[in-house]
Amino acid sequence: MRSRLAVAFLAGILLTAGWLSAGILPKIDLPKDSPVAVLSSDYGDSSESARGGAMLLELHAALSLRNSSQRRIRGITMVVTAQDVTPGGKGSVTVTSLDVGPGDTFPMRIDLRLLRPLQPGAGIPVLLGLDGVLFDDLGFYGPDKLNSRRTLTLCEWEARRDRLYFKGLLASGGQERLQNEILASMSRETDRPNLDVQMSRGGRSTNFEPEKQVQFAFLRLPDSPIDPLEGMARIAGNEARAPRLEVRNRSDRTVRYMEIGWILQDRQGREFLAGSVPAQIQLAPGQKSQILSDTSLKFPQRPGQTLSIESMTGFVSNVEFSDGSLWIPNRADLADPRLKRIVGPSAEEQRLVQLYRRKGLKGLVEELKKF
Amino acid sequence: MRQTIHPGETRLALYAGGDLGFWEKHRVRSHVSRCSQCRTEVRAFHSVEEAWTDQPAVTPLDANFARLAQEMTGNIRVGLAAGECIAGFEKTVAKPRPFHHAALALIAVSLIVCATLWLNLPRRQMDHLMSALGQVQDRVRPAAPVPDVVVIEASPSSIQVKTNNHALSLLHPQSGGGTVSMNTQDSAAVRYVDADSGQVTINKVYYAQ
Repeated sequence: MRSRLAVAFLAGILLTAGWLSAGILPKIDLPKDSPVAVLSSDYGDSSESARGGAMLLELHAALSLRNSSQRRIRGITMVVTAQDVTPGGKGSVTVTSLDVGPGDTFPMRIDLRLLRPLQPGAGIPVLLGLDGVLFDDLGFYGPDKLNSRRTLTLCEWEARRDRLYFKGLLASGGQERLQNEILASMSRETDRPNLDVQMSRGGRSTNFEPEKQVQFAFLRLPDSPIDPLEGMARIAGNEARAPRLEVRNRSDRTVRYMEIGWILQDRQGREFLAGSVPAQIQLAPGQKSQILSDTSLKFPQRPGQTLSIESMTGFVSNVEFSDGSLWIPNRADLADPRLKRIVGPSAEEQRLVQLYRRKGLKGLVEELKKF
Repeated sequence: MRQTIHPGETRLALYAGGDLGFWEKHRVRSHVSRCSQCRTEVRAFHSVEEAWTDQPAVTPLDANFARLAQEMTGNIRVGLAAGECIAGFEKTVAKPRPFHHAALALIAVSLIVCATLWLNLPRRQMDHLMSALGQVQDRVRPAAPVPDVVVIEASPSSIQVKTNNHALSLLHPQSGGGTVSMNTQDSAAVRYVDADSGQVTINKVYYAQ
C-alpha cells in the first residue's frame, strides 16, 4: 500500500513538471495508400493532470492535412479511440462541405477530454485513424467502420440540394431574396430548442412517474419512398424509450437503410427533435417491416425547467437504396412550418450562413458561383 | 437466572373466593398451576372456607356480635399492617410492565397500516414497491458481477461516452451554437461551424460495436 502511494506521489510530481507530456500525444495511424497525409500537428494547449482520484487528459490537436490524391476531397472522417479509457465506446471527427483540390492542404481540429481512474505510469494510448474520405465524384476511400460513407454522402447530397436552392433564390429574386432567406435561417437557428440528452441501451424507465405507451403521429412527406404506418414508444416524464415503428416501402427499389426523425412534444406544447430512429433493413418494393430499438432517451431537466413528454411525431428523414443512392427530403418538404421550426439546417446551410456572417452577401454570392 | 414473581396474599385470597376479575383470575390461575407454594396457600383458603360452611351451627347463641365485629375489624387491620411490613422480604411484588403493552400496541398499529396500504395502494405503485423490495432482496444476496453500463450524453457544448469511471468527451470550441442529434442505434453527434476556418465539423461518439 505504501509503495503504491509512493508511486502515485512520484507520478503526480512528474505530471506537474510536465515530464510525461510526451506520453499523452496521440498516435496517428494512416494507411500507406491514404489520400491524405499529415503535414504537421500542433498540441499546443494539451495537458494531463491528476484530479482527485482520476486522471484527466485534455487533448487539443490542430492537424494540417494534405490531399495527396488526384481528386477533389469533399469530406473526411477520422476515428478517435482510447481503448483503455472507454472500452465501451469510441469517437469520430468529421469535416464536411470541403472543396480541397489535389495537393492542397486543409486544417482539422480534434478537441477531446479523457477521464480515467488514476493509474501511475500508464500512458493513455489515443489513436487517430482514418475511417473514410469522400471525393467530389462521390467515390469513397477508407475502411468505413463507422459508416462514414453514408454520413459523408448524405452531407454532400444535402449540400448540393441547398446550394441549388440558394442559387435559385439568387437567380429568381436577386441578392435581396437570398439575404432575406439567410437572415430567416439565422433567426430560426437562434429560436430552435436545443436540449441535453442522455442515451442508454436496454433497461427500464428510471423515472418514478408512471410509464405509458404513446402512439406516434406522422408527418408524411409527399415524395418519401417510405410510408410510416404506425408506431409507439414508452414515455415516463422526461424519458422516452423503446420506439417501435412499422413502415412500408412504396418505391420501386429495395431499401437497405432508413432513418425516422423523432419529434417530441411536452405538456406546454413545446416541440423539439429528440433524434432519429435508424434501421438497417432489406425492404423490397411494397414490403412492410418493423423497426425496433431498445434505446432509452432521457432529457435531463435544467433548474427551473420541467419537461414532461406528452406526444410524439415521426417523419422519414433519409433513405438509402440497395444501389447506394439516397433519398433526402427536398426543400419544399422542409418548408413545412413544423419541420422548419424544429429540424436544424443542413451542414451546408450552416456553412453558408457562417460565410455570410464573416464575409457578407458579396462573399456568399461568390461562394455560390464556385459550384 | 429467572426470578419467580408470586401474587400477593390478598389476591390469592380473592382468587380462592372467586372474586377476581377475568384477566386477573386468568393470570393468577396460570401462576398457581405452576407454583406449588401458592397452590398450597390457595388450598388453605379453600379449607378455611369449607370449614366455615360445614359448621354453621357452632356459633353460640349468646355471642356478642358487636364485640366480635370489633375484634374482627381489629384483627384484619393488624393482619394487613403486618402484611405490608413483610411484603418486601417474603415475596417480590409483580411490577407493571408498560413496555410490553406499548410493543403490542405498536405491532397492532403496524399490521393495520400494512393491511390498509396493501388493500388501497394503486396497482402501479404496488408494482414499484414490489420491485423495490425485490431490489433490496437482491442486494442482500452475494453481488453478481454487473456489466458496465455505457451511457452517451450530448449537449450543445460537448458529447461524451462514459462507463462507471471512464469518459471520452469530444468538445467544440464554441459555447452553444452546436446542433445536437441522437441516433438511437449507436451514436450521438454535435455539428458546428468552426469560427476560424469556416469548416463544418461533426463530432460523434459511439457505442462499441
